[in-house]
Amino acid sequence: MAETQPPNIVEGATTGDIDDEIPVAAKSAEDRKAAAALSSLDTPRDDDTTVTKDVDREAVRKAMDRLAGAGAANAAAAKKGDDKQAPKKVIKVDQADVTLLVDELELSKIKATELLKAHDGNVTSALKVYITPPETTTAT
Amino acid sequence: MPQPLTSKESSLFRQVIRNYEDKQYKKGIKAAEQILKKNPKHGDTLAMKALIINSQGKTDEAFALAKVALQCDMKSHVCWHVYGLLYRAGKNFEEAIKAYKFALKLEPDSQQIQRDLALLQIQMRDYQGYLTSRKAMLTSRSHIRQSWTALAVAYHLMGDLSEAESVLTTYEETLKNPPAKTDLENSEAVMYKNSVIAEQGDIQKALDHLESAGKHNLDRLALLELRAKYLLQLERKEEAAEAYRALIDRNSEYKLYYDGLTTALGLKLTDHKERKDIYDGYAEKFPRCDAARRLPLDFLEGDEFREAAAQYICRMMDKGVPSTFANLKHLYADDSKKETLRAIVQKYIDRRKSDSSEETQTNGDASKGIPAALYFLAQHYNYYLSRDLDKALEYIDRAIELEPKSVDFHMTRARIWKHYGDLQKASDTMEQARALDTRDRHINTKSAKYQLRNNQGEAALKTVGMFTRAETAGGPLADLHDMQCMWFLTEDGQSYARQGKYGLALKRFTTIYNIFDVWQEDQFDFHSFSLRKGQIRAYVEMMRWEDHLREHPFFSRAALSAIDVYIKLHDKPLVNGMNGVGEAGGDDAAERKKAAKKARKEAQKAEREAHAKKNEPNKLKDADGEAKKQDDDPEGAKLAATTEPMNDAMKFVTPLLQFSPRSIEAQIAGFEVYIRRKKYLLALKCLLAASALDKEHSQVHGQVIRFKLAIDQDREALAPKTAEIIKSEFTLLPASTNLTLYNDEYLARHADCARRTVSALKIRRLLSPDKATSCQEDTAKVINLPSITMEEAKETLELLRSWNSSVTDSFRSQAAAKWPRATVFTASS
Repeated sequence: MAETQPPNIVEGATTGDIDDEIPVAAKSAEDRKAAAALSSLDTPRDDDTTVTKDVDREAVRKAMDRLAGAGAANAAAAKKGDDKQAPKKVIKVDQADVTLLVDELELSKIKATELLKAHDGNVTSALKVYITPPETTTAT
Repeated sequence: MPQPLTSKESSLFRQVIRNYEDKQYKKGIKAAEQILKKNPKHGDTLAMKALIINSQGKTDEAFALAKVALQCDMKSHVCWHVYGLLYRAGKNFEEAIKAYKFALKLEPDSQQIQRDLALLQIQMRDYQGYLTSRKAMLTSRSHIRQSWTALAVAYHLMGDLSEAESVLTTYEETLKNPPAKTDLENSEAVMYKNSVIAEQGDIQKALDHLESAGKHNLDRLALLELRAKYLLQLERKEEAAEAYRALIDRNSEYKLYYDGLTTALGLKLTDHKERKDIYDGYAEKFPRCDAARRLPLDFLEGDEFREAAAQYICRMMDKGVPSTFANLKHLYADDSKKETLRAIVQKYIDRRKSDSSEETQTNGDASKGIPAALYFLAQHYNYYLSRDLDKALEYIDRAIELEPKSVDFHMTRARIWKHYGDLQKASDTMEQARALDTRDRHINTKSAKYQLRNNQGEAALKTVGMFTRAETAGGPLADLHDMQCMWFLTEDGQSYARQGKYGLALKRFTTIYNIFDVWQEDQFDFHSFSLRKGQIRAYVEMMRWEDHLREHPFFSRAALSAIDVYIKLHDKPLVNGMNGVGEAGGDDAAERKKAAKKARKEAQKAEREAHAKKNEPNKLKDADGEAKKQDDDPEGAKLAATTEPMNDAMKFVTPLLQFSPRSIEAQIAGFEVYIRRKKYLLALKCLLAASALDKEHSQVHGQVIRFKLAIDQDREALAPKTAEIIKSEFTLLPASTNLTLYNDEYLARHADCARRTVSALKIRRLLSPDKATSCQEDTAKVINLPSITMEEAKETLELLRSWNSSVTDSFRSQAAAKWPRATVFTASS
C-alpha cells in the first residue's frame, strides 16, 4: 500500500520546476474551472452533491480519524511483519529455471518466478505440482 | 511547465471542453485551432484536440498528437489524463493506469483523475490499488454514503469481510437520525451488510441483524427468504417451517421453498407419505398450482408414483398442456418411471376414446386430450432414453391428423426427422411448422437452426432476417452481430466448418470470442453506476459472475470448434489459403486449381473493396449516424491463411483450459494443440487431467500412446529437467510397456464399443503401418457391432474417408442400410 504523499511533493524530477508550479495554483482560478470541467469528461453527472443532512459532520470526522488511525496502525503492523518475514522470504531463483518454466509452461516471467518462489526455488517440484491435476472431487 | 493563456483564450479552452462533452467535435476542433494559432505549443489544448480526434475515430493521429502535447507540457495533468483516456479508449488498461497515476501525482486533488484510476483498477482486479484509491476518495468526500460503501466493497472483493463490515458500521454510526424507511439506498445497504455478515459464517449474527436493522427492509422477498434460510441453518426448525410456509403462500411454484419446508419439518427422503401429504395440502389450497402436484413425482415410487402420475397426467392432458412431456422427462432417468408414464398415457388415450364414442362429444376435454396424449407419446419415443423413431413418427402423424395447425406437433415431427439423420427433411418440416405461425420468434429461430444444420446458410439467414432490425446497415448478419446472437453465430460457424469453409468458420468463432471480451468490458460502466444507484448486492454478484464469464457453454463450444478447425488447418494446410472446399471434392486437381484461382481473385477483390472503404471512412454510417468500423476481413480469409494455426489456436485454448478444466473435451483439445507445438509438459498436464476424468475414454487412450511415441522420438531435444519430470510423472504407461500389446489389451477390453474399437485400430495403424489394410477392414467391421450409434458410424466414415480407404464405400452402404433415412450415408453423386 502506497502511503499518500503530501500534495506539494511530486515524485520524479522536481527541482527547478517547483517554483513554476506554485504560481499556477495561486492564479489559476480560471484554470481550475477549466480543469474541473475537463475532469467531468465522460462522467455521468453524479447526484452526490445532495448531501444527506442527517450526516453528523463531527461524527464523520471522528470516524475518518479512526479509520486513518487504524490504517496507519495496520500499515505499521504490516511493515513490522514484513521486517520479520523478510529474511525468510529471500529465495534464490535460478534464472535458468525461470527460463525453463517460461518456455515449457508458457508462463510470464513474473508468474514463473512466483511459482518457483512458492516452491522454494525447486524447479522439479514446481513443474510437478503445476502439471498434476487438482484433486478430483466427485462434485461437479 | 504551466502555459498561461489570456482570458479570451481560457474561455475558448473551456468551450473546447464543452464541445467535447456535447460531442460537437468539429466546433471543438475549430476552437482548439483558434487557441493554437496564438499558442501553437499549448499542451492542454493539443491534448484536448487529440481527445476529440480520437472520438472521431482517428486513433493513430490522436496518439501522435497527444505525444506532442506531452512534449510541450510534461507537467500538465491534463495532458497525462488525456493520454490515459486514449489508452483507456484503446483498451490498453495497464498503460492507462500508469498515465492516470502520473496525472494524479501532478494533481493529487483531482477527484476526477482519482475516480478514473479507481475504475480502471477494479476493472483490472487490482484490489490493492483499488483499496488505496477508495481510501483516498473517502478522505476527500467522507460525507457521502457512496464513498463508504465503495470502500467496504473494496475490502469485500479483496476477501477482508470483517473490515468491510466495520466500514459499513462506522458509517452507520455517523448518522444522527436513522434514515427514512423509504430510503432505497439505505435499504439496499442494510441488506448488503447482512450478506457480508452471513458470508463470514456467523449466521446467528446475520439473523439478529436481519431482525433488527432489516426488519422493515424494502426488499421484502429477500428478507423473508434469508430469514427462512438462516433459521433453517440455525436448526430453529419450527420457525423455519413457518417462514417457508409463508413463502409458499407468496409463491407456490418455487421448488426451493418446498425443499426448505420439508427439511425444516425434519422429514427424511424416505418418508414418502408424509412428504406427499404436505404437497397435497398445497395442491388443495391452490387449485391452479402445478409444482405441488408435480414435485412429489420426483420422490414417489411404485404404486404411489403410478397413482400420483396418473392424476397429474390426466389433469394436464385434459387441459391439453403442450409442455407436459418437458415437465416430466427428467423422470426418465428411472427406467420404471419411464415405462409407467408411457403406460399411463396409453391408458388415457384408450379411455378417452371409449368415452367419446359413448358421450358423443359432449365433453369438450376429449378434443384436447387425445392430441395432447398422442403428442406426449411421440415425444416419448423421440426422447433419447426411450427412442423408437418409427413409433414416434406414427404418433405424431396421428396427432397432426387431429390438429393439423399445431406448430408444436410439426416441430416435434421435424425433430424426429433430425434424429433419423434426414437433415433435409428435418429442415423442410421445421420450415413447414414455421409457416403455420410466421409471427412466432421461437419457431422462426428453430427453423433457421435446422437450416444451418443442413448447411443451408443463406436460407437460414433469410429466415432469421424476418426478425432482425431492417434498418441495420449490412443486413441481417450485421444485426445478428450487433445483437450478439450467439446461437446463430455458433451454428453458422459449425456449418461452415462442416463444409470446409474454414475462413468463415473461424470468423464466426472469433466473433464469439470477441463478444465475450465485450461482456467483460461491459462491466466497466457498472463500477460507478451500481454504486451510484446503491445496488450493491447485485454489483458484487455481477463482479463474481464476470470473473467466471468464460465458463459459459457458449464459449467452450465455440472454442472447441475453433480449435478443431485450427488443428485441421495445421494437419492439412489449405492449398489455396482461402475458404477452399476442404475435402469434399478434393480429388480433382483441376477443380482444385480452379477453386484456388477463384479464391485468389475473391481475395483481391475483397482487399480492393476494403481499401476503397478505408479511404472513405465516413461513407458508411448506420442509422444512428455513427461511423462503423470497417471489417477488413469479412470472409475470414486472413484467419484461414495463417501460417501458425497452432499459435492462433492458443487464444482459445488458454481460456478454455482455465475456465473449463473439468471438461474432458477441453483437455483433449488442449493436448492436441500442445503436442503439435511440442510443449510436452503442457500436453502431459492435459493428458493427466483428462485421464483423471475418464481413463478409458477412447481419445485419451490414443493420446497416451501418441504421447509416448512423441517423447521417445524427441528424447534428444528435451531439456534434461523436462525429461526427468516426464519420466517421473508420466506413469500412465510404464516405460517398459509394449505399446502394441497395450493397445491390443484395450481393444479386447472394449470390443463391443465402436468408438473405442476405432480408436484402438487407429493406433494399431499408427504403430504398425504394414497392417494398414487389415486395420481399415477391421475398422469397417464396427458397423456390425450391435451398440453402434449413428454418430459413431458417421465418425468412422469420416475416418475411413480421410484414409482414402478402399472399404469406405462398402462401409457407407452398410451404414445406409442400417440407417436408411440418414442423409450422411447416402451415396454422393
